[in-house]
Amino acid sequence: MNDTTGYVYHAPREWTRLHPVSPLLGGWVFLGLILAYWIHNQLPAWVDGGDDNSLAFFDQFPFLWLVLAALLAFAATIGISFWQWRRTEYRIGDDAVYLRQGIVTRQQRQARLDRLQAVDVVQPLLARLFGFAAINVQVAGGQKSGVELKFLRLGDAEALRNEILALAAGVKEEKATGDDAAGTTAPTAAPDATTADTTASSGIRGHLAARAGALSNPEAVLSGTERVRTAVAAAEEREVYTLPLKRLLLSIVLSGATFFLLTLPFVGLIAFFVFRVDVVAAVGAAIGTSLVAIVTALAGLLGFFWTRLNGGFGFTAGISADGLRLRHGLTETRRQTVPPGRVQAIRLYQPFLWRGQDWWRITINVAGYGEDQESVSVLHPVATREEAIRAVWLVLPDLGDPDPYGTLGHALHGHGADGGFTASPEAARRVDPLQWRFRGVRATDRALLIRRGRWERELFVVPHERTQSLGLTQGPIRRALGLANVVVHSTQGPVTPVAAHLAVDDAIELLDAQAARAREGRRRQTPEQWMSAVGLETGASDE
Amino acid sequence: MGGRNPGAAVHARAGPWQTGGMSWYDNAAAPWNFVSRKLITARLVTMWIWLGILILGGLVASLLTGAPLLLLVPAAALLLGGWGSWLIVRQVTAHAWAEDEEDLLVRRGRMFRSVTVVPYGRMQFVDVKAGPLERALGIAKVQLHTASPGTDASISGVPASEADRLRDRLTTRGEARLAGL
Repeated sequence: MNDTTGYVYHAPREWTRLHPVSPLLGGWVFLGLILAYWIHNQLPAWVDGGDDNSLAFFDQFPFLWLVLAALLAFAATIGISFWQWRRTEYRIGDDAVYLRQGIVTRQQRQARLDRLQAVDVVQPLLARLFGFAAINVQVAGGQKSGVELKFLRLGDAEALRNEILALAAGVKEEKATGDDAAGTTAPTAAPDATTADTTASSGIRGHLAARAGALSNPEAVLSGTERVRTAVAAAEEREVYTLPLKRLLLSIVLSGATFFLLTLPFVGLIAFFVFRVDVVAAVGAAIGTSLVAIVTALAGLLGFFWTRLNGGFGFTAGISADGLRLRHGLTETRRQTVPPGRVQAIRLYQPFLWRGQDWWRITINVAGYGEDQESVSVLHPVATREEAIRAVWLVLPDLGDPDPYGTLGHALHGHGADGGFTASPEAARRVDPLQWRFRGVRATDRALLIRRGRWERELFVVPHERTQSLGLTQGPIRRALGLANVVVHSTQGPVTPVAAHLAVDDAIELLDAQAARAREGRRRQTPEQWMSAVGLETGASDE
Repeated sequence: MGGRNPGAAVHARAGPWQTGGMSWYDNAAAPWNFVSRKLITARLVTMWIWLGILILGGLVASLLTGAPLLLLVPAAALLLGGWGSWLIVRQVTAHAWAEDEEDLLVRRGRMFRSVTVVPYGRMQFVDVKAGPLERALGIAKVQLHTASPGTDASISGVPASEADRLRDRLTTRGEARLAGL
């Protein structure tokens, strides 16, 4: 791709198709099926115990026919994908990213930039091998409201992301003061103007020329694969932490799934000696019935290891003017940008086996991601205590506490009332004998901290201005004990903060105080266009 | 406690049944509005229709088969119905809402009780729903949606005329205080 260094990418202001290679990046599943069938036929019969009939249907056809059928299906898939590709177009405007698609039913969708929650550049394995990437624009407003563009060349995808972020950040406000005269005369260029070069994007380019420093310092991941050739450079990024592979592997070893695998033989031994079960025969019988079934069961377990490894591989977090940047992935890589103020809640979790190392797994709620897989909602797969505190700092630069380290330390490891936490009363022992001493709630000026857990530990951090609503609940047992729960409703995601088993009076007080703090927080929260808020772009263009 | 008036307990206890025993949340500056008693009728009718089918079915089956043991089914249904009716009355009379300066408060339940505080600025949209039975009784259900799926802020049994006004009031306040996510 070095032959295109003279070419500068501009995000399309008029309807544009995705990269023509896109239809070719799907449809391989049919060839995979044939391969699977072939392997299945080549293997000796004992492997699947002979009573696995899932593929028997195909046995009645000659192999050549099957190959032909698969090729036909493959061609059809590619053909349909090609047709779909022809009918899929996108463009960006000043206020939204537009996508229209569909063969039979046409669908037009717009992702409003003022509702933007995150922009991801995703590279599945195949796309990655050929230097392509998909771009996911996540907006608030329920499931499936985002826009997914696949595929673009990696460099173009990066550039498009930068431009979308620049627009969403409110950089376009800058147009009036841009150095380009053409830009000043058309500050309200129609979003579908076809003369994109001279009008709408000039303000951005003015701004981005200012960021040119970043051009000479492209993202590390990019440097090896593709040159950055973009009108809009990525906001300069400062790396905050990287996960070493060694720690990731060790953390996977120190997981419940490994523990389960390791204890299996002991369970077998106990069964053999104590209960006189003929383990060898049992295992033999199990394997005899179907090795495939066992492999499937193991695959489920291995799936866990794989998700953890793939999601956490090379995990790097950085901070930039456009917000949080996360990069990770082994086969499928993902680069996430979450603008400031989009993280709704944080959960720090320490499984029992990680206690010795004092490691934490940190997950977040981001509105656009919704109920998505865990791959997108991780802020740090395995953080040391130091990194955990830094991760919280990434989201909440100001914890609103004079001693953030001390407070977070108490939040992560304290118990009872130390560190100013409101603990559960002794009555909670009746319903929660193990961890009642370790439950605690504390509000700083900016966030609510909820702590729990004795063997495994958990800490929720919810910024006050991100509280959606609050709940107070009590069932008959808690009522008899004078306890109640306070629930903080966050957006959809893996983090569901609950302060359980508080004394009723404490709970009621917390509810009221928290409602007041959330009200206060909403008043001073950062506007949606994060750059126009702090005036960063003015400072940048003066340089 | 914020802008709430601790003395509001007087208003809060205006309901015919006391919340009784342990103190429970009543720190709303605004008075609690209890939902319409017609909701009791609506819920009783729905419950007894189902139980009625069960009772009739049990009776017919025991008559046809001549097995007296089958009479246990209608008996159990009757007992269940009695208990359910009592529950419904208790629940509905505890269901109330209050419109504070900045938040909407919804209180519900007696055995499992809860209070939900929804800031107006967090409301994404408001639904007003009424099924045929509810329409006949002149009540409706007002449901608030925030960006959180956990927010359980629905008010059942709001008098129909009041429901529309409530929805408009909530929408107006929501727009005035609308905050980003």
